Amino acid sequence: MKTDTGTVKVPIGEEKDFQSAEIWARVTGKAVYGSDFSLPGMLYGKILRSPYPHALVKNIDISGAESLPGVRAVLTGAGLQCKKYGIAVDDELPLALEKVRYIGDEVAAVAAVDPETAERALEAISVGYENLPAVYDPDKALEEGAPQLHEDFPGNTAWQRDLRRGNPDAAFKEADLVVENKFTIPAVHPAYLEPISCVAVYDPYNGLILHTALQSPDSVRAIVARVLEMPLSRVRVIGPAMGGGFGGRVYGNLKLYIISSLLAVKTGRPVKLELTREEEFTVGRPMVSASIKMRMALRRDGKILAREADIITDNGAYSAQAPWVSKTLSERNDSVYRLPAVRTRLRLVYTNKVPTAQYRAYGNQAANFATESLMDMAAGELGIDPLELRLRNCTREGDTTVHGLQIESCALSSCLQEAAKEIGWGSKKEGRGYGLSAAIHANGSLVFDKNFRGSSALARLELDGRVTIFTGEQDYGQGTHAAFALIAARALDLDPQLITVQSGDTLSSPYSTGALAMRQTTIGGRAVQLAARDLREKITRLAAELSGQQVALEKDILAGTSGVPRDFAAVAYYYHTLTSGLNLTGEGKFVPGPADYDESGYGNISLTYSFAAHAAEVEIDRATGALTVHRLVAAHDSGRIVNYRSACGQVYGGVTQGIGMSCYEGYLFDGGRVANPSFADYRIPTSLDVPEIVPLFIETEDPAGPYGSKGIGEIVMVPVLGAIANAVADAAGARVTDLPLTAEKIYEALAGWECAD
Amino acid sequence: MSYLVATSLEEALTYLRDSGGRARVVAGATDLYLKDLPHSLVDLSALPGASVIEEADGLITLGACLTHASAASSILILSRATALAEGCMAIGSPQIRNIATLGGNVVNAAPAADAAVALVALGASAVLVDTGGRSREEAVEDLYVIFNRSAVDSTSEILLKLTIKSCGTGEGSAFTRFAPRRALSLPLVNAAARVRIENGCFREVRLVVAPVKPAPTRLLQTEAMLEGMAPCEETWRLVERAASEEVEVRSSLLRCSARYRNHLVGVLAARVLQAASERAREEEGVDGR
Repeated sequence: MKTDTGTVKVPIGEEKDFQSAEIWARVTGKAVYGSDFSLPGMLYGKILRSPYPHALVKNIDISGAESLPGVRAVLTGAGLQCKKYGIAVDDELPLALEKVRYIGDEVAAVAAVDPETAERALEAISVGYENLPAVYDPDKALEEGAPQLHEDFPGNTAWQRDLRRGNPDAAFKEADLVVENKFTIPAVHPAYLEPISCVAVYDPYNGLILHTALQSPDSVRAIVARVLEMPLSRVRVIGPAMGGGFGGRVYGNLKLYIISSLLAVKTGRPVKLELTREEEFTVGRPMVSASIKMRMALRRDGKILAREADIITDNGAYSAQAPWVSKTLSERNDSVYRLPAVRTRLRLVYTNKVPTAQYRAYGNQAANFATESLMDMAAGELGIDPLELRLRNCTREGDTTVHGLQIESCALSSCLQEAAKEIGWGSKKEGRGYGLSAAIHANGSLVFDKNFRGSSALARLELDGRVTIFTGEQDYGQGTHAAFALIAARALDLDPQLITVQSGDTLSSPYSTGALAMRQTTIGGRAVQLAARDLREKITRLAAELSGQQVALEKDILAGTSGVPRDFAAVAYYYHTLTSGLNLTGEGKFVPGPADYDESGYGNISLTYSFAAHAAEVEIDRATGALTVHRLVAAHDSGRIVNYRSACGQVYGGVTQGIGMSCYEGYLFDGGRVANPSFADYRIPTSLDVPEIVPLFIETEDPAGPYGSKGIGEIVMVPVLGAIANAVADAAGARVTDLPLTAEKIYEALAGWECAD
Repeated sequence: MSYLVATSLEEALTYLRDSGGRARVVAGATDLYLKDLPHSLVDLSALPGASVIEEADGLITLGACLTHASAASSILILSRATALAEGCMAIGSPQIRNIATLGGNVVNAAPAADAAVALVALGASAVLVDTGGRSREEAVEDLYVIFNRSAVDSTSEILLKLTIKSCGTGEGSAFTRFAPRRALSLPLVNAAARVRIENGCFREVRLVVAPVKPAPTRLLQTEAMLEGMAPCEETWRLVERAASEEVEVRSSLLRCSARYRNHLVGVLAARVLQAASERAREEEGVDGR
């Protein structure tokens, strides 16, 4: 058995706490966000939405709205010739044609000279509906005779998967212990603080420009071009500052971009559409809710033999990325431990509720909650310490996991040991509960877009000797640009403060699949590294040509054999005159080899994998069930840490969101209506609810990532759920399997009450 | 919309009178945007004495425009009306506490307003004056009509001040709440109590819980049961049961089940009485002090 190689090392950047200068606009409130953005002559768009969960649209009368002074355009589905579009499957239209499928479904849109007139125009539109029976519960939606949402998806099944690896039947027969339970996870919203907005501008010369902040502007640009049947080069996305993304802005709100574009084309004027906070909750795209029946087979010595899961995810009315999230939810977590056999059945089901998409970590956290709860149940039954049980089973360097993932670097066992040590596993305090949890997450899925597995970047030498990096990888506060500046600085031997990273305009940035799948630092960073190296070679070559002697580059000084130093500016200017105007530019093209996986998805689907183990210390008020999370230790193997400060920031933020999902958050529905569409009732943690968070970085040297680094952005949220659930169970002596872990549910479990409904 | 910052009571009343019901009174205005905006507003925060805190002859007078932050940090309120300081500290967030006022907390008439719950437990009275020049004094709990509707008509009447009998020797008060998170959250249940301990026994207990009815609700049967009982473990057990049995609460999708809320009423009633009685005994000089 190979042992972990993780140790704490000097950060890649020479400065431990590097901050990119672009952060100052944000912290001083000067950054221009989408909500702030406006253009002269801009119109304001509003969307008329269905008040019914399921109904036929019999007729729409827009004459009243059209005749209102100040109204410049009114759109309905009947007036458009758009084909169905979607992200994973094509099941949406910009505006409903014959049928609405949830409360909030887009029915008509207006553009007017001010928001008040647009609002009045909506009121002047009359729509005749014929109500249809609706279905809200995915189990009921699967029943024979249930109301059907989409003709193209009979039985309301949006996507399904039946997967078997190894021989689970034999394993369960052979097992000394089988633990099982049912876990439910509600829909959760990424809750970025800036609601999504878009200003669309169209003119025949420049084509269509969308001013909107996106994690994946190139993907959205392609979909908008397809739906509007415009050549791709006629659509451009320019990003203002982004007020949070967390996966929710990979595709953002496609309806909003498409409708604002249609209104801009129709009126020839800039049109702004902006979601209200209530709309963010009712028509934005939360992550799918899940119901997971899971069982695990173990040998007496703690060896896991197999695990089975029957999973239902609630798609809501349209799919967005829900099939992909469901896929990750159904398999990624299986590679945390050495599982010889797996059987998984998953069905993603249409219901007449808010359509769903994704959130940081793509559902991996839901699977973590289920699996890690079962691990502790098994540890209890077997009389093995939960830490020991995990160490006996956890994935290690050199493994090929049950789904074919090849683990080139892995410090999971060290993460578990260090997290346990830091939380005080060996010296537990009286009256406190302790829980552990482990996770894996992919760094840059090679299957997300088979044709674009990698990334590219340009490193341009400016005439003053500074360097500009052009990348399609987006920074919205997570520190990607700072990481890229550090990576380029190391490759160029240049002060990182002299490097600016640009990614805000699809016209000038290389294509990218976007800020998703933890691919930014690992894959985007490699492209930046290659671009900077290419520029470095070109600079030294030209410096030699310029001075007629051998030149070496060290500490941003180009020293010739004669001892006369030449700075970057001299080289830049030399090339500039040589070419009559060009800038010396390095190109970085990082193209990983094709992913090798079969039809069932077996194979090495990612460049590399990050690992983490979290440990939580909690306390429960036994009279009320009130939960206090005292401490959360987050031990991470994200390879070499590029920027310590940014990495800590990711841990603080991701753990906080994990605590939100564990203890506070979740959609509540009254029939098909979202019952808590506000921050008053959809409760994210406040600063008072966040415990002490301790980041630990167990650094491995990854062979694939730039300078040995791996991703951290998504995995930070994953193990929180299992760690807190297990700590609560430890403190309460009873287990809650329905998220969030509210005081009420904990008290019910403590008191042995039957379920409250 | 017009906005008048009134500098005298006369000016405020005249403006209300002249507006014929289209103007309403505001103080902190933190909940204003949650409602339909009126035609015009009269801001009371600049009235003389609007934010006063004073004590005379055992009576504490509080200006209706006193902010929650000021009340929570007043030495007088902390020592002589502790429940109110605790209730004020529990509301919203620092930003909200810096502008939201005691008068607003009462007239806004939310059923579980933390300061109002404490005021009722302390036996506070409200002094009001209307556009006709008539003045009245009412117990705070009598200012509620139905859920979220006050008996004070803000288009024609002004809540000027609140008065509380100061807690003296052998007296103490406390407030507590149970909420789904530690800030910016309505309570599932809140409770406040004022007690007097005489010869080691409860006298004149006022025990209030919310949200049960439109107004902060005194648990009269539990109060009566406590008369003459000693503050001890056995008593807390009895209070828990009595308080739970005395109230009828509703299930709410956004908050919690009726059964759980009922359980919380009992737990919080016992806890708040225990805290209040400990303070009363400190005042009485028990425990060697």
